[in-house]
Amino acid sequence: MNNLASYNWLKEYCKTDLSTADFARELSLRSMSVEKIDIVAARFDKIVVGLVNEVRPHPNADKLRLVTTNIGAETVEIVCGGVNVVPGMKVCVAMPGSRVRWHGEGDYITLGESEIRGVKSIGMICGAGEVGFPDLEKGEKEIWDLSFIKAPAGTNLAVALELEDTVFDIEVTTNRPDVMGIVGLAREAAVAVGGEFLHKQPAAIVPGTSIPFTVKIEDTVRCARQMAVVIDDVTVAESPWWLQKRLLLAGVRPINNIVDVTNYVLLEYAQPLHAFDYKKIEGSEIIVRAAKPGEKITALNSKEYALDGHMVLADAVKPLDIAGIMGGNETGTTVATKTIVLSASTFDGTVIRRTARALNLQSDAQLLFEKGLSTEALPGALARAVELILQTAGGTVASVVCDTRVKEYEALVFPFRPAMARQRIGVEITDERMEQILHELGFGVDKSAEVWQVTVPFWRDHDIEAEVDLGEEIARMYGYHLMIGVLPAGSPPTTQEPVAITWERFTKKLLAGAGYDEFFSYSFTNAEDIAKYGDDATTAYAILNPLVSEQSHLRVSLMPGILRAIEGNQGHTRAAKFFELSRLYLPRTNDLPEEATHLVFGEYGYANAEEVFRKLRGTLEMLTGKTGLEMKLSRDGISEKWHATRSANIVINDKIVGTIGEVAEKIQQSFGVDLRVFVVTLEFERLFDAMKLTHRYAPSSEFPAITRDLSVVVAERVEFVALTNELKNDLLTLIALADVYRGKGVEAGQKSLTLSLTLQAADKTLTAEEANEVVEQISEVLKTKFGGTMRS
Amino acid sequence: MENELRQLLAEAQGKLLLVKTLADLEVERIEVLGRKGKLAELLKGLAALSIEEKKTVGMAANEVKMGIEKAFAEAESRLSVAAASAKNESEWLDVTLPGIAPEVGHAHLTTQAIEDITNIFAHLGFVRSRHPEVDWDYYAFEAMNMPSDHPARDDWETFFVKGESGEVKTGAKGKMLLTPHTSNGQVREMEKGVFPIRMISIGKCFRRQADVRHLPMFYQFEGLVIDKKASVTELKGVCDYFAKHYFGPDRVTRLRPYHFRFTEPSFELDISCSVCGGSGLVDGVKCKLCKEGWLELGGAGMVHPNVIKAGGLDPDEYSGFAFGWGVERTMMMRAGLNIDDIRILYKNDLRFIRQF
Repeated sequence: MNNLASYNWLKEYCKTDLSTADFARELSLRSMSVEKIDIVAARFDKIVVGLVNEVRPHPNADKLRLVTTNIGAETVEIVCGGVNVVPGMKVCVAMPGSRVRWHGEGDYITLGESEIRGVKSIGMICGAGEVGFPDLEKGEKEIWDLSFIKAPAGTNLAVALELEDTVFDIEVTTNRPDVMGIVGLAREAAVAVGGEFLHKQPAAIVPGTSIPFTVKIEDTVRCARQMAVVIDDVTVAESPWWLQKRLLLAGVRPINNIVDVTNYVLLEYAQPLHAFDYKKIEGSEIIVRAAKPGEKITALNSKEYALDGHMVLADAVKPLDIAGIMGGNETGTTVATKTIVLSASTFDGTVIRRTARALNLQSDAQLLFEKGLSTEALPGALARAVELILQTAGGTVASVVCDTRVKEYEALVFPFRPAMARQRIGVEITDERMEQILHELGFGVDKSAEVWQVTVPFWRDHDIEAEVDLGEEIARMYGYHLMIGVLPAGSPPTTQEPVAITWERFTKKLLAGAGYDEFFSYSFTNAEDIAKYGDDATTAYAILNPLVSEQSHLRVSLMPGILRAIEGNQGHTRAAKFFELSRLYLPRTNDLPEEATHLVFGEYGYANAEEVFRKLRGTLEMLTGKTGLEMKLSRDGISEKWHATRSANIVINDKIVGTIGEVAEKIQQSFGVDLRVFVVTLEFERLFDAMKLTHRYAPSSEFPAITRDLSVVVAERVEFVALTNELKNDLLTLIALADVYRGKGVEAGQKSLTLSLTLQAADKTLTAEEANEVVEQISEVLKTKFGGTMRS
Repeated sequence: MENELRQLLAEAQGKLLLVKTLADLEVERIEVLGRKGKLAELLKGLAALSIEEKKTVGMAANEVKMGIEKAFAEAESRLSVAAASAKNESEWLDVTLPGIAPEVGHAHLTTQAIEDITNIFAHLGFVRSRHPEVDWDYYAFEAMNMPSDHPARDDWETFFVKGESGEVKTGAKGKMLLTPHTSNGQVREMEKGVFPIRMISIGKCFRRQADVRHLPMFYQFEGLVIDKKASVTELKGVCDYFAKHYFGPDRVTRLRPYHFRFTEPSFELDISCSVCGGSGLVDGVKCKLCKEGWLELGGAGMVHPNVIKAGGLDPDEYSGFAFGWGVERTMMMRAGLNIDDIRILYKNDLRFIRQF
């Protein structure tokens, strides 16, 4: 929550000579952060008070007038469309070079000299909205009547309206509603910047006797205290400018002097108040109770709310106010109001928060109430409001000060160990400095024993919950920026990082190094995508409150995200190698989901499936090889997610842990992918137990190897492994596949394999004759067992 | 004979100047210096001379031989240079041809940031840890000093898992949710019972928000130190160390008081803005990126005694500090990255992925 705080107002309660920048910095470092510094007068550069001398019709436009205006040193003629401009009126004149908002809307623009319908116009007579006060607009075509100000024509507007002020936009943390008030902020500031806190409690209300009034709390669980006082003979009118100005700078719209005072006190004391029209209250009593079944109320925003047990302030017959949130329309103050009831309450913050959510109704008062306010804030705020109402609206206090509470107040007291605080902070702050800080913030300190007893002031009775909170008060006011950072002492930790992280890092590096680009998809998916990929959406967790419908479930496969990614890329990147290594969320009974890390890598947009298969297999073998895994492929049990004859399951330690294959065309197409996709999927996490980084040296043979290439034509469906398994010879150390050829010279249904044979003996250098003998023998096997024809 | 020798030298010198190739030179060498070459032929006559004559003619013959060899060496050197030059000319290469990039893949920008962050903290003895992304309410909130119905829970905009009944799914430790912060790992790490703790846990978090600055899924890195005398000044030292190493030594940090339920005291760590250099002004106009010269890096604080209790420890004996910052946000605050809409990160656009 943010507090728009006027520096001039703050300085009424905190004596300081700091520049705005210094003040903002010191406050940010020790208390609340100043997010923006708005120098108000800067908005009114080249905007002056004008005095209207003469108003004449515009020669070329019915709705425009020519206004001769005295702007101090000179008199200028200004074209003006304002309907209320009359001679003798003081107006606001924006001169060329000033910044205004047309009709109070949009961005500020810099005014130039202009010609309107053929008549030259120097400057512009402005409506309130055009110079930044849309809340003061009375009518669409009305210019701002400044006749109430004393300053002569030509005076700069900021001077004339006493707007030489700075507004700090301060982010107040939610635990400190007290700092939402100028007084609370001044108290913080005084300690933070080293100023003097000047605030004095307002004088107690002098009670009257002419009007009897009472308050009663029936809902003692949700309301802790209720006060009220009646003021008679008030004159409801526009507030004086000094009061309106303060509200405007804080972003609050002035309404009338009664409402404005309650808002002023809200801004000053951070305690909401409400003023009722006494005549509209039946039975001279305010009762805090639960709404009765079927009760309704039309709030100040003119909307009707059906109440269902919500807490209300009521009179003898009807609800007057949705407690803590908004008053009723019917019982508010109007120009006809002569007698008001000022009401102040303390409610349970959680209740107010829930009610506001339930009714979808927010207000400045509610935002404060829901943070939790003190019962002890009421008398001061009420007294300040009475003081200001008597000053601005006249009248007299006509009733006793009604006050009822659920239980007596007992200030919180916490033990405090200065030595412990010093250790936790890490800085040698003296006992005296600690006591001083606590004292200046309003805490009572009893240091007669080693463990101090610290009494919490009422305005902190919600946020101070333990000893450690007192330590924070001391540390922040001492100043974190003055502390010297050190590296942690203490013994080194002995834990190791989880293997999952080690293997993820290893695999990502390996795949990126092998030319694969990493996808990073959302963990979300949706029922449609799950079904499109051929899984059962009811086996995935649904999200109760998804942000968008495409992100309604937690994924149970990486593949839908990957296919979506390919669909998104295929328009500009027609082929690519990709991978993703991330967690799935597989439901389990009576437990959190299994967060299983899966790996997918693959390629799309290739021309040659065989080549891509071999590349992917090669990458897979590099991964398994480097991590000590023994892998086999099996065509058994391939699901319909895969191309029936271009896929195989990956078997490690007799368990199927993944698939290498081309994505079934119908799945690929259902995701809108118009290119074929070949991938390896691995249940990565299931491999960790068997994975190890093997670094073991195997000595190389001292004798040279001989390489011989051999081309053989065999039937298309003769599998490489079936073939090579038959080629056994002690001297044959490696059979590599150098080439696969189909085409001219090879019949259809046949393929030519070029095998690259490595021959080597462990104990001698092979002769050419010995090598030829092995090749001969292998050729023979190829011919007899596989019907192969040798090619040369 | 001496004259003939000198004539042979002059002849050879003259001829060698005209030889065009190394092959011709070789032919010439055999003709002049070979076993049956001209020099050898001439020297055969030496046998017939007197001892005195042999002496003078022999000396002359040596001189001539050296002279001829020198001439050959010079010719060879000249012809080799010419030959090499001719070969080079015939092997001319267009050096303006475009490069062929090696086939390298790209780890995602976020993966790279996670590695960078891990490495910096590793220097301080922090060890990576791993915790659930879908967790119980207890670990995300309750144990973090946010009892049920605490308004602070609203700040997290949490996603919940739907149960069979259509209401929120519940289990052993409350509601099942997508963790909105990595702080759910704090009590989980303490429950392991191994102390001291210097944890860096980097994981996915989820919040109901999506705009140019927010993603519904993002990464946080959670640092947690639990030890017997952990202090604010240590927290400050660790934050400074990270900031200086990740962002560069010219960036300045500050701790600013803040409020979180699970730390006390709580701070936000700010880092000086890279655009305006911390002045808050660019060419006299307010910097659009930062607030008065500072950027918020994220929250930090001393672990609340109630959280330490929830982790099974005595807060009078143990203390700790923790910080939890967004990986993407931190990464984007590095100078010069120039990403104006954070949502590009997880769109899986290869044109984006391949830039890093």
